[in-house]
Amino acid sequence: MMGWTRHLRDDRLYECYLVERGGEAVDPRAADHLADCQSCAGRYRQLSEFLATIGDEAAREADDLFTPERLQQQQDAIQRKLDVAARPARVISFPGQTAPTHTQPTTRVATRWLAAAAAAGLIVGVGVGETFRPSGAGEPAVSRATAQATTPRTAPAALRVSAPAPAPDANDDDRFLRELEMALQRPQTRELLSFDNLTPHAREIGRRVR
Amino acid sequence: MSDHAVQQPERLSPVAPPAATAARRPAAAAPISEDTRLAVEIREQVARGDVDQARSLFSGLVTQHQRRASRIAYQYLRDAAEADEAVQDAFVKVFSHIASYREAWPFEVWFTRILINGCLDRRKSRARRERWFVSSDDGPPEDARLPFGGAGNPDPEARLLARERRARLASAIDRLDGRQRTVFMLCHYGDCSPREVSAMTGLNESTVRVHLFRAARKLRAFLGGQP
Repeated sequence: MMGWTRHLRDDRLYECYLVERGGEAVDPRAADHLADCQSCAGRYRQLSEFLATIGDEAAREADDLFTPERLQQQQDAIQRKLDVAARPARVISFPGQTAPTHTQPTTRVATRWLAAAAAAGLIVGVGVGETFRPSGAGEPAVSRATAQATTPRTAPAALRVSAPAPAPDANDDDRFLRELEMALQRPQTRELLSFDNLTPHAREIGRRVR
Repeated sequence: MSDHAVQQPERLSPVAPPAATAARRPAAAAPISEDTRLAVEIREQVARGDVDQARSLFSGLVTQHQRRASRIAYQYLRDAAEADEAVQDAFVKVFSHIASYREAWPFEVWFTRILINGCLDRRKSRARRERWFVSSDDGPPEDARLPFGGAGNPDPEARLLARERRARLASAIDRLDGRQRTVFMLCHYGDCSPREVSAMTGLNESTVRVHLFRAARKLRAFLGGQP
Protein backbone atom coordinates (compact mmCIF):
# COMPACT_ATOMS: atom_id res chain seq x y z
CA MET A 1 0.00 0.00 0.00
CA MET A 2 3.06 2.21 0.28
CA GLY A 3 3.13 3.62 -3.28
CA TRP A 4 -0.57 4.32 -3.48
CA THR A 5 -0.81 6.95 -0.78
CA ARG A 6 0.64 9.40 -3.32
CA HIS A 7 -1.35 10.66 -6.31
CA LEU A 8 -1.43 8.53 -9.42
CA ARG A 9 0.86 9.64 -12.21
CA ASP A 10 -0.57 10.45 -15.64
CA ASP A 11 0.82 7.30 -17.25
CA ARG A 12 -0.84 5.25 -14.52
CA LEU A 13 -4.14 7.00 -15.12
CA TYR A 14 -3.81 6.37 -18.82
CA GLU A 15 -3.12 2.72 -18.15
CA CYS A 16 -6.28 2.55 -16.08
CA TYR A 17 -8.23 4.10 -18.93
CA LEU A 18 -6.95 1.57 -21.45
CA VAL A 19 -7.70 -1.34 -19.17
CA GLU A 20 -11.18 -0.10 -18.40
CA ARG A 21 -11.89 0.57 -22.07
CA GLY A 22 -10.86 -2.96 -22.93
CA GLY A 23 -13.49 -4.24 -20.53
CA GLU A 24 -10.96 -5.57 -18.07
CA ALA A 25 -10.78 -4.88 -14.36
CA VAL A 26 -8.60 -2.00 -13.22
CA ASP A 27 -5.84 -2.81 -10.78
CA PRO A 28 -7.67 -2.96 -7.40
CA ARG A 29 -5.12 -0.72 -5.65
CA ALA A 30 -5.46 1.95 -8.33
CA ALA A 31 -9.22 1.59 -8.24
CA ASP A 32 -9.21 2.03 -4.46
CA HIS A 33 -7.08 5.12 -4.78
CA LEU A 34 -9.33 6.61 -7.41
CA ALA A 35 -12.30 5.98 -5.19
CA ASP A 36 -10.64 7.73 -2.26
CA CYS A 37 -8.75 10.58 -3.91
CA GLN A 38 -10.97 13.26 -5.43
CA SER A 39 -8.05 14.94 -7.17
CA CYS A 40 -6.97 11.78 -8.98
CA ALA A 41 -10.58 10.87 -9.75
CA GLY A 42 -11.05 14.30 -11.31
CA ARG A 43 -7.89 13.94 -13.41
CA TYR A 44 -8.96 10.49 -14.46
CA ARG A 45 -12.38 11.74 -15.50
CA GLN A 46 -10.84 14.56 -17.53
CA LEU A 47 -8.46 12.20 -19.28
CA SER A 48 -11.19 9.69 -20.03
CA GLU A 49 -13.50 12.35 -21.41
CA PHE A 50 -10.72 13.82 -23.53
CA LEU A 51 -9.79 10.50 -25.11
CA ALA A 52 -13.36 9.32 -25.50
CA THR A 53 -14.31 12.57 -27.17
CA ILE A 54 -11.40 12.30 -29.59
CA GLY A 55 -12.40 8.76 -30.55
CA ASP A 56 -16.09 9.60 -30.85
CA GLU A 57 -15.44 12.72 -32.87
CA ALA A 58 -13.25 10.85 -35.32
CA ALA A 59 -15.77 8.04 -35.66
CA ARG A 60 -18.63 10.49 -36.21
CA GLU A 61 -16.67 12.41 -38.81
CA ALA A 62 -15.86 9.26 -40.78
CA ASP A 63 -19.38 7.91 -40.43
CA ASP A 64 -20.84 11.16 -41.78
CA LEU A 65 -18.76 10.67 -44.90
CA PHE A 66 -19.03 6.92 -45.25
CA THR A 67 -22.77 6.49 -45.30
CA PRO A 68 -24.33 3.04 -45.76
CA GLU A 69 -24.89 3.85 -49.45
CA ARG A 70 -21.28 4.75 -49.90
CA LEU A 71 -20.16 1.61 -48.15
CA GLN A 72 -22.38 -0.40 -50.47
CA GLN A 73 -20.77 1.34 -53.44
CA GLN A 74 -17.40 0.55 -51.96
CA GLN A 75 -18.32 -3.10 -51.72
CA ASP A 76 -19.51 -3.11 -55.33
CA ALA A 77 -16.26 -1.50 -56.42
CA ILE A 78 -14.29 -4.19 -54.59
CA GLN A 79 -16.25 -6.89 -56.38
CA ARG A 80 -15.61 -5.20 -59.70
CA LYS A 81 -11.91 -4.97 -59.01
CA LEU A 82 -11.84 -8.63 -58.08
CA ASP A 83 -13.61 -9.42 -61.35
CA VAL A 84 -10.96 -7.54 -63.28
CA ALA A 85 -8.17 -9.17 -61.31
CA ALA A 86 -9.62 -12.63 -61.95
CA ARG A 87 -9.79 -12.09 -65.70
CA PRO A 88 -6.60 -13.19 -67.47
CA ALA A 89 -4.66 -10.33 -68.97
CA ARG A 90 -5.00 -9.91 -72.72
CA VAL A 91 -1.78 -9.35 -74.59
CA ILE A 92 -2.18 -7.31 -77.73
CA SER A 93 0.49 -8.09 -80.29
CA PHE A 94 1.72 -5.24 -82.41
CA PRO A 95 2.68 -5.81 -86.03
CA GLY A 96 6.11 -4.33 -85.54
CA GLN A 97 6.90 -6.85 -82.87
CA THR A 98 5.70 -9.95 -84.67
CA ALA A 99 9.08 -10.75 -86.24
CA PRO A 100 10.93 -13.02 -83.83
CA THR A 101 14.01 -11.38 -82.47
CA HIS A 102 16.26 -14.42 -82.89
CA THR A 103 16.00 -14.22 -86.70
CA GLN A 104 17.03 -10.60 -86.79
CA PRO A 105 20.83 -11.08 -86.96
CA THR A 106 20.61 -13.18 -90.18
CA THR A 107 18.19 -10.74 -91.80
CA ARG A 108 20.30 -7.80 -90.81
CA VAL A 109 23.47 -9.33 -92.28
CA ALA A 110 21.69 -10.10 -95.56
CA THR A 111 20.32 -6.57 -95.72
CA ARG A 112 23.75 -5.13 -95.15
CA TRP A 113 25.20 -7.21 -97.99
CA LEU A 114 22.46 -6.15 -100.32
CA ALA A 115 22.98 -2.48 -99.48
CA ALA A 116 26.72 -2.75 -99.96
CA ALA A 117 26.33 -4.50 -103.34
CA ALA A 118 23.84 -1.88 -104.52
CA ALA A 119 26.15 0.96 -103.51
CA ALA A 120 29.11 -0.67 -105.24
CA GLY A 121 27.08 -1.22 -108.41
CA LEU A 122 25.98 2.40 -108.43
CA ILE A 123 29.54 3.68 -108.03
CA VAL A 124 30.85 1.41 -110.78
CA GLY A 125 27.97 2.35 -113.06
CA VAL A 126 28.54 6.07 -112.61
CA GLY A 127 32.27 5.68 -113.15
CA VAL A 128 31.85 3.61 -116.32
CA GLY A 129 29.21 5.99 -117.58
CA GLU A 130 31.50 8.98 -117.12
CA THR A 131 34.38 7.22 -118.80
CA PHE A 132 32.57 5.89 -121.86
CA ARG A 133 30.05 8.67 -122.47
CA PRO A 134 29.69 9.57 -126.19
CA SER A 135 31.11 12.97 -127.01
CA GLY A 136 27.80 14.56 -128.11
CA ALA A 137 25.70 13.07 -125.43
CA GLY A 138 26.03 15.98 -123.07
CA GLU A 139 25.49 18.69 -125.58
CA PRO A 140 21.74 18.88 -125.80
CA ALA A 141 21.56 19.48 -122.12
CA VAL A 142 24.13 22.22 -122.31
CA SER A 143 22.53 23.88 -125.32
CA ARG A 144 19.10 23.71 -123.71
CA ALA A 145 20.50 25.38 -120.65
CA THR A 146 22.18 28.03 -122.72
CA ALA A 147 19.00 28.69 -124.66
CA GLN A 148 17.04 29.11 -121.47
CA ALA A 149 19.65 31.47 -120.09
CA THR A 150 19.83 33.61 -123.22
CA THR A 151 16.10 33.81 -123.89
CA PRO A 152 14.34 35.00 -120.81
CA ARG A 153 10.58 34.67 -121.15
CA THR A 154 9.75 38.10 -119.88
CA ALA A 155 11.96 40.12 -122.18
CA PRO A 156 10.60 40.05 -125.72
CA ALA A 157 10.80 43.85 -126.03
CA ALA A 158 14.40 43.88 -124.89
CA LEU A 159 15.13 41.32 -127.51
CA ARG A 160 13.75 43.59 -130.15
CA VAL A 161 15.65 46.62 -128.91
CA SER A 162 18.94 44.83 -128.65
CA ALA A 163 18.51 43.02 -131.85
CA PRO A 164 21.51 43.17 -134.06
CA ALA A 165 21.49 45.24 -137.21
CA PRO A 166 19.69 43.66 -140.13
CA ALA A 167 21.86 41.27 -141.91
CA PRO A 168 21.38 39.85 -145.36
CA ASP A 169 19.13 37.17 -143.91
CA ALA A 170 17.26 39.67 -141.68
CA ASN A 171 13.82 38.38 -142.70
CA ASP A 172 14.65 34.99 -141.36
CA ASP A 173 15.77 36.43 -138.07
CA ASP A 174 12.71 38.59 -137.83
CA ARG A 175 10.47 35.65 -138.43
CA PHE A 176 12.34 33.64 -135.89
CA LEU A 177 11.98 36.34 -133.28
CA ARG A 178 8.31 36.79 -134.02
CA GLU A 179 7.72 33.12 -133.57
CA LEU A 180 9.66 33.25 -130.43
CA GLU A 181 7.50 36.08 -129.12
CA MET A 182 4.37 34.23 -130.06
CA ALA A 183 5.65 31.15 -128.41
CA LEU A 184 6.38 33.00 -125.23
CA GLN A 185 3.08 34.86 -125.20
CA ARG A 186 0.96 31.81 -125.77
CA PRO A 187 0.77 28.80 -123.55
CA GLN A 188 2.72 25.81 -124.65
CA THR A 189 0.64 23.30 -122.88
CA ARG A 190 -1.66 21.55 -125.25
CA GLU A 191 -4.45 21.24 -122.70
CA LEU A 192 -4.52 25.01 -122.21
CA LEU A 193 -4.54 26.01 -125.87
CA SER A 194 -8.31 25.81 -126.23
CA PHE A 195 -8.74 28.11 -123.23
CA ASP A 196 -6.17 30.46 -124.67
CA ASN A 197 -8.05 30.65 -127.97
CA LEU A 198 -11.20 31.66 -126.14
CA THR A 199 -9.46 34.36 -124.15
CA PRO A 200 -9.15 37.85 -125.70
CA HIS A 201 -5.53 39.01 -125.76
CA ALA A 202 -4.27 42.56 -125.33
CA ARG A 203 -2.21 42.38 -128.51
CA GLU A 204 -5.22 41.49 -130.66
CA ILE A 205 -7.35 44.23 -129.13
CA GLY A 206 -4.54 46.73 -129.68
CA ARG A 207 -4.21 45.61 -133.30
CA ARG A 208 -7.92 46.13 -133.89
CA VAL A 209 -7.83 49.57 -132.35
CA ARG A 210 -4.95 50.52 -134.56
CA MET B 1 12.47 4.62 -23.71
CA SER B 2 14.31 7.11 -25.85
CA ASP B 3 12.52 9.35 -28.30
CA HIS B 4 14.61 8.25 -31.27
CA ALA B 5 12.76 4.96 -31.24
CA VAL B 6 9.76 6.65 -32.79
CA GLN B 7 11.75 8.29 -35.60
CA GLN B 8 12.08 5.09 -37.60
CA PRO B 9 10.45 4.70 -41.01
CA GLU B 10 6.69 4.93 -40.84
CA ARG B 11 5.78 1.86 -42.88
CA LEU B 12 4.96 -1.16 -40.76
CA SER B 13 7.70 -3.77 -40.79
CA PRO B 14 7.05 -7.24 -42.22
CA VAL B 15 5.03 -9.58 -40.08
CA ALA B 16 7.06 -11.79 -37.78
CA PRO B 17 6.79 -15.52 -38.42
CA PRO B 18 3.68 -16.87 -36.74
CA ALA B 19 5.61 -19.49 -34.79
CA ALA B 20 7.87 -16.87 -33.23
CA THR B 21 4.91 -14.68 -32.43
CA ALA B 22 3.01 -17.50 -30.86
CA ALA B 23 5.97 -18.25 -28.66
CA ARG B 24 6.28 -14.64 -27.62
CA ARG B 25 2.62 -14.00 -27.10
CA PRO B 26 0.57 -16.73 -25.47
CA ALA B 27 -2.55 -14.79 -26.43
CA ALA B 28 -2.07 -15.92 -30.03
CA ALA B 29 -3.47 -19.28 -28.94
CA ALA B 30 -6.74 -17.60 -27.97
CA PRO B 31 -9.97 -18.96 -29.49
CA ILE B 32 -10.20 -18.21 -33.17
CA SER B 33 -12.45 -15.29 -34.05
CA GLU B 34 -15.32 -15.46 -36.55
CA ASP B 35 -13.57 -13.37 -39.18
CA THR B 36 -10.39 -15.42 -38.86
CA ARG B 37 -12.37 -18.62 -39.30
CA LEU B 38 -14.01 -17.12 -42.36
CA ALA B 39 -10.66 -16.08 -43.80
CA VAL B 40 -9.30 -19.59 -43.34
CA GLU B 41 -12.35 -21.00 -45.09
CA ILE B 42 -11.89 -18.58 -47.98
CA ARG B 43 -8.26 -19.56 -48.26
CA GLU B 44 -9.17 -23.23 -48.44
CA GLN B 45 -11.82 -22.63 -51.05
CA VAL B 46 -9.43 -20.65 -53.19
CA ALA B 47 -6.90 -23.45 -52.85
CA ARG B 48 -9.56 -25.91 -54.02
CA GLY B 49 -10.31 -23.64 -56.99
CA ASP B 50 -13.79 -22.76 -55.82
CA VAL B 51 -13.28 -19.04 -56.35
CA ASP B 52 -16.94 -18.10 -56.74
CA GLN B 53 -17.85 -19.54 -53.38
CA ALA B 54 -14.78 -17.92 -51.86
CA ARG B 55 -15.85 -14.57 -53.21
CA SER B 56 -19.32 -14.79 -51.83
CA LEU B 57 -17.83 -15.55 -48.42
CA PHE B 58 -15.38 -12.73 -48.86
CA SER B 59 -18.16 -10.20 -49.28
CA GLY B 60 -19.17 -11.11 -45.72
CA LEU B 61 -15.68 -10.30 -44.52
CA VAL B 62 -15.81 -6.99 -46.36
CA THR B 63 -19.11 -6.07 -44.74
CA GLN B 64 -17.71 -6.91 -41.35
CA HIS B 65 -14.59 -4.77 -41.66
CA GLN B 66 -15.24 -2.00 -44.14
CA ARG B 67 -16.65 0.60 -41.73
CA ARG B 68 -13.76 0.32 -39.34
CA ALA B 69 -11.34 0.23 -42.28
CA SER B 70 -12.88 3.37 -43.75
CA ARG B 71 -12.54 5.20 -40.43
CA ILE B 72 -8.89 4.29 -40.12
CA ALA B 73 -8.09 5.10 -43.74
CA TYR B 74 -9.90 8.41 -43.53
CA GLN B 75 -8.03 9.44 -40.41
CA TYR B 76 -4.77 8.64 -42.17
CA LEU B 77 -5.53 10.29 -45.46
CA ARG B 78 -8.10 12.98 -44.56
CA ASP B 79 -9.66 12.53 -47.97
CA ALA B 80 -12.76 10.40 -48.35
CA ALA B 81 -12.17 9.47 -51.99
CA GLU B 82 -8.60 8.44 -51.34
CA ALA B 83 -9.62 6.57 -48.21
CA ASP B 84 -12.24 4.78 -50.25
CA GLU B 85 -9.60 3.75 -52.77
CA ALA B 86 -7.22 2.63 -50.03
CA VAL B 87 -9.88 0.44 -48.45
CA GLN B 88 -10.81 -1.09 -51.79
CA ASP B 89 -7.20 -1.81 -52.62
CA ALA B 90 -6.60 -3.35 -49.22
CA PHE B 91 -9.53 -5.73 -49.64
CA VAL B 92 -8.48 -6.67 -53.15
CA LYS B 93 -4.97 -7.31 -51.91
CA VAL B 94 -6.32 -9.45 -49.10
CA PHE B 95 -8.26 -11.64 -51.51
CA SER B 96 -5.37 -11.87 -53.97
CA HIS B 97 -2.97 -12.92 -51.22
CA ILE B 98 -5.34 -14.99 -49.14
CA ALA B 99 -3.14 -18.04 -49.76
CA SER B 100 -0.41 -16.45 -47.66
CA TYR B 101 -2.71 -15.82 -44.69
CA ARG B 102 -1.91 -17.79 -41.55
CA GLU B 103 -4.45 -18.12 -38.78
CA ALA B 104 -1.77 -17.58 -36.13
CA TRP B 105 -2.63 -13.94 -36.73
CA PRO B 106 -6.20 -12.76 -36.23
CA PHE B 107 -7.58 -11.72 -39.60
CA GLU B 108 -8.18 -8.21 -38.28
CA VAL B 109 -4.49 -7.80 -37.52
CA TRP B 110 -3.41 -9.03 -40.92
CA PHE B 111 -5.94 -6.92 -42.76
CA THR B 112 -5.20 -3.78 -40.76
CA ARG B 113 -1.50 -4.08 -41.49
CA ILE B 114 -2.23 -4.26 -45.21
CA LEU B 115 -4.57 -1.30 -44.97
CA ILE B 116 -2.18 0.88 -42.99
CA ASN B 117 0.75 0.13 -45.26
CA GLY B 118 -1.42 1.12 -48.20
CA CYS B 119 -2.39 4.35 -46.46
CA LEU B 120 1.21 5.14 -45.62
CA ASP B 121 2.23 4.57 -49.24
CA ARG B 122 -0.51 6.91 -50.35
CA ARG B 123 0.58 9.57 -47.86
CA LYS B 124 4.13 9.29 -49.11
CA SER B 125 3.10 9.56 -52.74
CA ARG B 126 0.86 12.53 -51.95
CA ALA B 127 3.73 14.29 -50.19
CA ARG B 128 5.87 13.69 -53.27
CA ARG B 129 3.18 15.10 -55.53
CA GLU B 130 2.82 18.16 -53.36
CA ARG B 131 6.57 18.78 -53.56
CA TRP B 132 6.58 18.85 -57.32
CA PHE B 133 3.19 20.14 -58.36
CA VAL B 134 1.25 23.17 -57.31
CA SER B 135 -2.07 21.90 -56.08
CA SER B 136 -5.18 23.17 -57.79
CA ASP B 137 -8.10 24.71 -55.93
CA ASP B 138 -8.51 22.79 -52.69
CA GLY B 139 -12.25 23.37 -52.51
CA PRO B 140 -14.32 23.13 -49.36
CA PRO B 141 -13.75 20.34 -46.87
CA GLU B 142 -15.66 17.19 -47.62
CA ASP B 143 -17.95 17.35 -44.63
CA ALA B 144 -18.81 20.91 -45.71
CA ARG B 145 -20.25 19.44 -48.91
CA LEU B 146 -22.57 17.16 -47.03
CA PRO B 147 -26.17 18.27 -47.19
CA PHE B 148 -27.49 19.83 -44.05
CA GLY B 149 -29.79 17.50 -42.25
CA GLY B 150 -28.06 14.54 -43.83
CA ALA B 151 -26.04 12.09 -41.87
CA GLY B 152 -24.58 14.77 -39.66
CA ASN B 153 -25.90 17.52 -37.46
CA PRO B 154 -28.68 19.53 -39.15
CA ASP B 155 -27.74 22.76 -37.37
CA PRO B 156 -25.36 24.75 -39.61
CA GLU B 157 -23.65 26.46 -36.69
CA ALA B 158 -23.08 23.18 -34.90
CA ARG B 159 -21.75 21.72 -38.11
CA LEU B 160 -19.36 24.60 -38.54
CA LEU B 161 -18.10 24.25 -34.99
CA ALA B 162 -17.72 20.50 -35.39
CA ARG B 163 -15.78 21.06 -38.60
CA GLU B 164 -13.40 23.45 -36.89
CA ARG B 165 -12.97 21.10 -33.96
CA ARG B 166 -12.23 18.21 -36.30
CA ALA B 167 -9.75 20.23 -38.31
CA ARG B 168 -7.95 21.21 -35.10
CA LEU B 169 -7.87 17.63 -33.95
CA ALA B 170 -6.63 16.36 -37.32
CA SER B 171 -3.90 18.96 -37.32
CA ALA B 172 -2.82 17.93 -33.81
CA ILE B 173 -2.79 14.26 -34.78
CA ASP B 174 -0.73 15.12 -37.82
CA ARG B 175 1.89 16.73 -35.59
CA LEU B 176 2.55 13.45 -33.80
CA ASP B 177 5.55 11.33 -34.65
CA GLY B 178 4.89 8.61 -37.22
CA ARG B 179 4.85 5.70 -34.78
CA GLN B 180 2.89 7.58 -32.16
CA ARG B 181 0.32 8.57 -34.73
CA THR B 182 -0.07 5.03 -36.02
CA VAL B 183 -0.34 3.53 -32.57
CA PHE B 184 -2.75 6.19 -31.33
CA MET B 185 -4.98 5.91 -34.37
CA LEU B 186 -5.15 2.15 -34.22
CA CYS B 187 -6.01 2.23 -30.57
CA HIS B 188 -8.43 5.15 -30.39
CA TYR B 189 -9.85 5.22 -33.91
CA GLY B 190 -9.55 1.56 -34.83
CA ASP B 191 -10.69 0.31 -31.41
CA CYS B 192 -7.71 -1.98 -31.08
CA SER B 193 -6.25 -3.04 -27.76
CA PRO B 194 -2.56 -2.37 -27.08
CA ARG B 195 -1.95 -6.07 -27.61
CA GLU B 196 -3.58 -5.98 -31.04
CA VAL B 197 -1.67 -2.83 -31.92
CA SER B 198 1.48 -4.61 -30.89
CA ALA B 199 0.66 -7.48 -33.25
CA MET B 200 -0.15 -5.07 -36.08
CA THR B 201 2.92 -2.92 -35.74
CA GLY B 202 5.42 -5.52 -34.63
CA LEU B 203 6.28 -3.35 -31.64
CA ASN B 204 6.57 -4.68 -28.14
CA GLU B 205 3.34 -4.27 -26.19
CA SER B 206 4.98 -2.17 -23.50
CA THR B 207 6.45 0.03 -26.24
CA VAL B 208 2.98 0.46 -27.66
CA ARG B 209 1.71 1.58 -24.26
CA VAL B 210 4.52 4.09 -23.96
CA HIS B 211 3.78 5.45 -27.43
CA LEU B 212 0.11 5.66 -26.59
CA PHE B 213 0.69 7.56 -23.42
CA ARG B 214 3.11 9.99 -25.05
CA ALA B 215 0.77 10.58 -27.93
CA ALA B 216 -2.12 11.29 -25.56
CA ARG B 217 0.01 13.66 -23.52
CA LYS B 218 1.16 15.53 -26.61
CA LEU B 219 -2.36 15.78 -27.95
CA ARG B 220 -3.61 17.25 -24.71
CA ALA B 221 -0.81 19.79 -24.86
CA PHE B 222 -1.51 20.64 -28.52
CA LEU B 223 -5.21 20.98 -27.91
CA GLY B 224 -4.99 22.68 -24.54
CA GLY B 225 -6.77 19.80 -22.83
CA GLN B 226 -9.89 20.27 -24.99
CA PRO B 227 -10.49 18.08 -28.02
